[in-house]
Formats: sequence, C-alpha cells, structure tokens
Amino acid sequence: MRTSFYLLPIALLASGAVQATTYLTVDQAQAQMLPGATLTQDFRQLTPAQIAAIRKDSGQSPLNDQLKAWRASDGSWFIVDEVVGKHEFITFAVTIDGGGAVRRVEVLDYREAYGSQVREAAWLAQFVGKKRGAPLALGDDIKNISGATLSSKHISDGVRRLLSTYAIVLAPGATA
Amino acid sequence: MSGVAQADEPIFGYIYTTDLLPQGKTEIEQWATEREGRSQGSFHLLQTRTELSYGLSDNLQISGYANLAWASVNHNTPSGETAPPEVFADYDADPDARFRQFRVESFSFEALYRFLSPYTDPVGAALYLEPSIGPRTRELEARLILQKNFLDDRLIFAFNTTLGYEWRYLQGDPSADPASDDFRDHWDKETDVNFGLAGSYRFVSNWSAGLELQNEREWADLNPFKSENRTNSAWYFGPTLHYANEHFFATGTILKQLPWAQDYANSGADSFTVHGITNADDFENYRFRLKLGYYF
Repeated sequence: MRTSFYLLPIALLASGAVQATTYLTVDQAQAQMLPGATLTQDFRQLTPAQIAAIRKDSGQSPLNDQLKAWRASDGSWFIVDEVVGKHEFITFAVTIDGGGAVRRVEVLDYREAYGSQVREAAWLAQFVGKKRGAPLALGDDIKNISGATLSSKHISDGVRRLLSTYAIVLAPGATA
Repeated sequence: MSGVAQADEPIFGYIYTTDLLPQGKTEIEQWATEREGRSQGSFHLLQTRTELSYGLSDNLQISGYANLAWASVNHNTPSGETAPPEVFADYDADPDARFRQFRVESFSFEALYRFLSPYTDPVGAALYLEPSIGPRTRELEARLILQKNFLDDRLIFAFNTTLGYEWRYLQGDPSADPASDDFRDHWDKETDVNFGLAGSYRFVSNWSAGLELQNEREWADLNPFKSENRTNSAWYFGPTLHYANEHFFATGTILKQLPWAQDYANSGADSFTVHGITNADDFENYRFRLKLGYYF
C-alpha cells in the first residue's frame, strides 16, 4: 500500500505526458484555412544566411532550420511552425497571401493549463492583414491576453518571424 | 503597465519568481525541506509546508500555508551540547541527550502582488508580505522579487531580497544575568535579511535546470541597520531541477552551506562557526527541498 504513494509523482508525470491537446491536425488546418485550394508541399532548408536575415529582420531566431511550407494554388502559402510555450512548444499555422499579408492564424497544439484563449478567433483575427514590418507587439498592435502573456507574446513573435521568413525565403524575388 | 500571469510555478526551491496564478485559478503545493548536518554531532530537521493558492486578480495572488516541523538532534553545537534548532528554540532541551520533537510550527498567509511583468516590461517585479503565527512564534516577512528573462523566456534569472521579523517566546535561562531579559520568560526578537540570486534554463520541453545562491543574515532585535546587533551570516549554493506539465510540477533543490559564514555575536571558543560553517540555531550544512504542485 505504501508503495503506491511513492509511485504517485511518477503517475502524475506520466499522466501529464499524454495530456497534449491537439485542436487541429495539419490536414484539418489546411482545409479550414485555405478551403478549396490545392496545396503542394514545399519544405525548405533554411541556410545560415537566411536564418541570420530572419533574425535581423524580425528580432526572432527560427527554432528549426526546416521551414514547413505548402504552396497553394491561389498563390498563398501555408506554414506550420512552433513557438516556445510555458512548458512545451505551441504549434501554429499561418496562411500568407501572395501580397505578403496574413490571411489567417490558427493554433494547432496547445499544451498548457492556462492561456488557451490564444486560440480564440477574436484574438487571432488581430493578425489578419498584417505584413512584414508590422510591430506585432503586445500592447501595441496586438492585445495581451489575461492569463496568457507568455503564449500571446510568443505567438505574436512567431507570426512576425514567419512574415520575415516569407519575404526572405518564399516570396517572388526573395531577398536571401 | 504590467503583463498578466502565467502559472505560479516555482522553478526554484528558494528563490521566488514573479509568475502568479491567473485570476480565479487555484493551486495546491506541498513542500518538504530536509535540513541536514552540522560540524559535529547529528542534526536532522524536516519542515513541511502545505500551501493553497488562489489568483484574486491576474496580478495579485493569495496563499495560505500550514507549516510542520520534526527535529532530531544530538550534540550538535561546537561545544558538544545538544541545542534544538530555531523552530524549537522555546523547548527546554537536555544538553547531554538527543532532542527529538514534532510540532505544528505555524500557519502563514501570503499576499503576492506583481507590478511589472517579465514578459512585457524590461524587468519583472513583485512584492509579497507573509505574516505567520504559531505556538509561541510570530513572524512577518516581506520580499522584493525581480526577474529577467532571456532566450524566448527559457533562460530565467531572479533576484530576491527578504526582510523578516521574528518573535519567539523563550523560557528564562537561570544561568543568564538576572538583570537581562534572558533570565526570565520573554519574547525574543530577531531580524532576518536574505539576498538570493538564481538562474534556470529550460533545456528541453518541461524540464529546467539551474543554480541558486542565498545569503542569510541575522540581527538580534528588530533593527537591521544596527551593526552591533548583527549575529550571523551564512551562504548557501546549489543546483535545482524543475519539471512541469499541464497540471503538475516538481522542483528539487540541494543547497550546501559555503565556508563563508560569520558569527558576529560570539568569538573564540564561543563561536558557532567551525571552518567557515556556522552552527547557529537556524543553519546547517545541507538543505534538500522538494516542492510538488497541482493546478486545478
């Protein structure tokens, strides 16, 4: 009987490891964010020069040197990426139109006890139409979310980074 | 001005950060601190804290604690006599025998207010106030907490300054000067000032590792600006490991006393310091702390 108490922390650790919440799979996100479009996978390996350029342009370093991007038949791009959450990474997707403006942002995976309000449509709608060079800063052009400051800040940073990534790597006449 | 909370999650064992519970959220936390070893004899002190916290607003968190203590010490002072640790200072211990005791140490209330967020301001800053009351014990502790984050908030540094006032109702000492307070039962007063610095890095998802440095200073009476009232200074340093997932966290810290202690009140054969390690009643060689918590 005593042994079961010793195992309690391990059980809690194990239970936490399987609590990740997937709100949208990549396929579901593509279908919702670009309905009717045909998507072609176009992953890119970022070069050190591109990573440096993205960091300089956005103030944020890519967490991964592989860019998971899909080209849409209407000229848009669908990108899946991650930002740092309180305990685990937050997976999100951004669609960017041919003019380099955000069409939509969705959170695919969110694994924190608090702050899932970053998934709410009204908050994510703030990013629509934003282009490279927009501040995308909490308290400036993006509202903070009560109880989710870290998550909302990092998603804002992530969208700003992907707008720079689009301009530097994917856009026609990309600069690096 | 200030940003809003993430969870009140202690990534350190001793040093506080400015993270609080969001409004309306609740957390339960269990601490266990094993304080081990002196320069001589045997010394074992286990202190536990059971905490319930609630987010009154995104920047104000309140907590209640129940504090328990167990001690088993023997010939633990440099003179070879048995003396109980500070939390049992009001007990009459036989200097030639093992002292073994359990007590409900105190109940505490804590209010923690954050006025700058490390996520939206250059530096996070918070203040807390914690009164405690127990059998023949009263304490009031205030703490200033500063926090600075780097590398996408994965590298965290925190600095704490703590001011604590303690009152303990002690039994009279027949061997003391009959004209002194010590001769009769009295409220003994002490001031503690602590400085703490810690850094932690989240090296993979869910896991952080870091180091903590703590300097603890004591004064007799309630005026920490009166240098002649200084009694002790001790330094502790050691590693801390933290795991957290969506609802659960665990933090383990080991601190070792560094050989930089000072006994300002006693010198020569009366000094509590042996090879730079103080054996005064609130200090020991090692501290092992485990915190477990659950968010609702």
